Amino acid sequence: MASVGLRHIAKSYGALQVVHDISLSIEDGEFIALVGPSGCGKSTLLRMVAGLEDISGGEVTIGGTVVNAKTPRERNIAMVFQSYALYPHMSVAENMGFNLKLAGVAKPEITQRVAEAARMLALEDLLDRKPSQLSGGQRQRVAMGRAIVRDPAVFLFDEPLSNLDAKLRVQMRTEIKSLHQKVGTTSIYVTHDQIEAMTLADRIVVLNAGRIEQVGTPMELYRTPANLFVAGFIGSPAMNLIDGIVDGDTDNPVVRLAEGAAIAISSDRRVRRGQSVKIGLRPEHLTAGGSDSICGQTLLVEPTGAQTHVLFEFAGQQMTAIVDGDRPIRHGTPFRAGIDQNLVHVFDSDSGESL
Amino acid sequence: MTETSSSVRVSTSTRIHFYLSLSLVAALVLVPLVTTALGGFKTLGDLRLNPFGLPGEWVWSNYIDILLGERYWRQMMNSMIIALTTVFLTLVVSSMAAFCFAHIRFFGAKQLLNYFLIGLMFPAATAILPLFIRIRDLGLLDSYWGVILPQVAFGLGMSILLFRNYFRNLPEELFQAAFVDGCGYIRFFWYISLPLSRPIVATVGIVTFVSSWNSYILPLIMLNTESKYPWPLGIMVYRGEFGTDWQLVLAFITLTILPTILVFFLAQKHIIAGLTAGAVKS
Amino acid sequence: MSHMTASVGDPSSLDAAKKVRYKSPTARGRLPALIIFLPPALLLFTLFVILPMGEAAWYSLYRWNGYGTPTEFVGVRNFKVLFNNAAFSQALINNALIIVVSLLLQIPLAIWLAVMLGRKMAGVVAFRLVFFLPYVLADVAAGLIWRFVYDGDYGLFAAVAGFFGVATPYVLADRDLAIYAVLAVVIWKYFGFHMMLFIAGLQSLDKSIMEAAEIDGATGWQRFRYVTLPLLGSTVRLSVFFAIIGSLQLFDLIMPLTGGGPSNSTQTMVTFLYTYGVTRMQVGLGSAVGVVLFVICVTIAFGYKRVFMRHD
Repeated sequence: MASVGLRHIAKSYGALQVVHDISLSIEDGEFIALVGPSGCGKSTLLRMVAGLEDISGGEVTIGGTVVNAKTPRERNIAMVFQSYALYPHMSVAENMGFNLKLAGVAKPEITQRVAEAARMLALEDLLDRKPSQLSGGQRQRVAMGRAIVRDPAVFLFDEPLSNLDAKLRVQMRTEIKSLHQKVGTTSIYVTHDQIEAMTLADRIVVLNAGRIEQVGTPMELYRTPANLFVAGFIGSPAMNLIDGIVDGDTDNPVVRLAEGAAIAISSDRRVRRGQSVKIGLRPEHLTAGGSDSICGQTLLVEPTGAQTHVLFEFAGQQMTAIVDGDRPIRHGTPFRAGIDQNLVHVFDSDSGESL
Repeated sequence: MTETSSSVRVSTSTRIHFYLSLSLVAALVLVPLVTTALGGFKTLGDLRLNPFGLPGEWVWSNYIDILLGERYWRQMMNSMIIALTTVFLTLVVSSMAAFCFAHIRFFGAKQLLNYFLIGLMFPAATAILPLFIRIRDLGLLDSYWGVILPQVAFGLGMSILLFRNYFRNLPEELFQAAFVDGCGYIRFFWYISLPLSRPIVATVGIVTFVSSWNSYILPLIMLNTESKYPWPLGIMVYRGEFGTDWQLVLAFITLTILPTILVFFLAQKHIIAGLTAGAVKS
Repeated sequence: MSHMTASVGDPSSLDAAKKVRYKSPTARGRLPALIIFLPPALLLFTLFVILPMGEAAWYSLYRWNGYGTPTEFVGVRNFKVLFNNAAFSQALINNALIIVVSLLLQIPLAIWLAVMLGRKMAGVVAFRLVFFLPYVLADVAAGLIWRFVYDGDYGLFAAVAGFFGVATPYVLADRDLAIYAVLAVVIWKYFGFHMMLFIAGLQSLDKSIMEAAEIDGATGWQRFRYVTLPLLGSTVRLSVFFAIIGSLQLFDLIMPLTGGGPSNSTQTMVTFLYTYGVTRMQVGLGSAVGVVLFVICVTIAFGYKRVFMRHD
């Protein structure tokens, strides 16, 4: 187990720079998730930490030592790949024991450590099978077993659950989480699925176009997104965003929206009169009923059982709200909702920054 | 009336036309082979009078004498030794070189690959005289190696190409996982690439073996001790020796092509796949 | 650490980090692998393929019997002799003739058979095997077998002639007919290979296109002519390529049949090289033939692929 440090990491392919000056400090035993849209550089970053990509600029340290010139083996990292990358011609036991064999570990010890890892992942019965004889979830566990057997300083995960179906994904997510709680190795987890990141990570790093947008705990990112990008990325369904102009006075600021609508915002927000802003309202924060300012025609009603998603019109655009499933909402009727002032996010229209 | 794959009923006349024309072609293919085989069972006189039909009297001695003699077996053995050694060397040497081209980025890789591919462009015959002189100067004349080494060398172009394409098609993440596990290039070659190479080893092996087994001009020029002759040289010598005793010559030929025919029918899929794939991919 | 926006590090530490250049971990260990894996192939190939080819160009400028070193420089005389030599001219003509006949006869035959054998009827696999069989045999064995077939005294030709009560044609001894006898053997030997190429080519065609043509009302022949044949273009080009390369190398087949005769009427470039270069140890002349053959092969290898197979 070790801490991981990234200092001014940059990566270029020829003239094209894909990672710009990223610095991050990961504590021993932390579970960090790297999230972002395709092409944001999260996988590249992971592979630079792994030693699979050369580092164009900056330094990576593991346990305090700079590892830029070290091979993955020397860095003592283990990696779980998106397609598992199991050796097709080796049995499960051989797959898991391969890295120990390469390191020259004695056979009896290899057998013992493989057995231990197999027990942790419920793979004991599958040790003699070949990867082609396993299901997707089982292969995933073998890939993890291969990593655990090493007892490495850092675990690296490259979108490991992307190839699984939805149900299996949820199941494996729980297994990964409980594994981390048991073993406690520092982990860096790349995913494009923000729910995975939210449920698994101690801290999340949101990346966009090779830069860090925000780093924080899941709740920090959810409650106080630093900018529009993070606000729109975290939370499902996505936050509703509406353009508006700031009005009112310092104690009771208000944002004027299209079609004469207006929303009161908290006086803590750092806004000036006349400022062009975007209002962010999370669907789950809109409380139905009441006389409050948000009101519009119901366009679509999507019941999901415990909740109902309501698509309605407000201030000239479509908004989503999530309400209790028991509440009767009908298409074509007016929908009324209110929101706590403090839960109204405000973003500067130009910079995207949170205010 | 049977149904064809496109579920159209085939009329009887079409079927007759189909089998008749195909059988005609098949006959043209088989008649020379069958009469050769049968010819070995006849006396010379019988052969002259009745080349197409079954032997009037089945003469076994032609075949048996050859099989009991040592010349036939010695030539088969020579062919086998030369072919197997050629195959083994070709596989080892070309897989190693191809691995470098497939996985290692190094200065001049592209040019070096083109260098090997030049070998695909011209046949061994073009340089046979200087090759002869070189083999002679190396003291390898009239030895198996004088045949084996040039055969391997000329086969490298295609073998390297086939291996390289195959290696490249292995999943990239496999290589990365092995790298993370601690494999260097050499160990990756030994533990991962080779074990997963069975199909391509079969293809390259078959193409190389057939080419060596059937080769004539190279041993003709490099060997002059009859006891070292592979069977293609052997049948020509036999023919030279027994001139018009066609019944003997035919028996000998039959025996030498028999292994080829047997192996062909037993391993048809592999052989056909190997020979056509090897050709197309180059 | 909560809000960490994109960190612009302080300039001094940025420079410090940039100044230190680290070795690339992905490139480590290349050298041992390269040093072990490449030299064997390199050595064999250079020694037995490239150098001899270069030496052939060199020797072709000399008159030499192969012993000691070449001393008698004759410049391009060997080439002049070659192109004035009737036997060599005949060899060139024969090579061209074989190519042309292959194209005109073998390929249509191969296509026809491939179409026939593409259907799923009983015995199709057996026919395919039989047709491919000659290709698997050694050229020299095939040549010798047909030498028997053509034999005027004991061969099948003699028997057939006798059956019809005609005088036996000694085909292989006839200066005008021998080359055609050779051509027949070439076709017998290689049509199966070309057939396999076309079977593979046909299988790669999309079946639904054929069905669409059927629905459009095309008859079997029309489907073949307007749909199948154009789509087989790349296979045809491949087949032609092999036919050309193969015919240029013909030697093993010819030696047992005719040895190049009678009167050099069945010479090919390689048989000429052997007869006049090797057996008489005229290294200069033989090398000159090699050079000519090399130039033709390389021109075809480059030119053909570039001109005809560009889009394949």
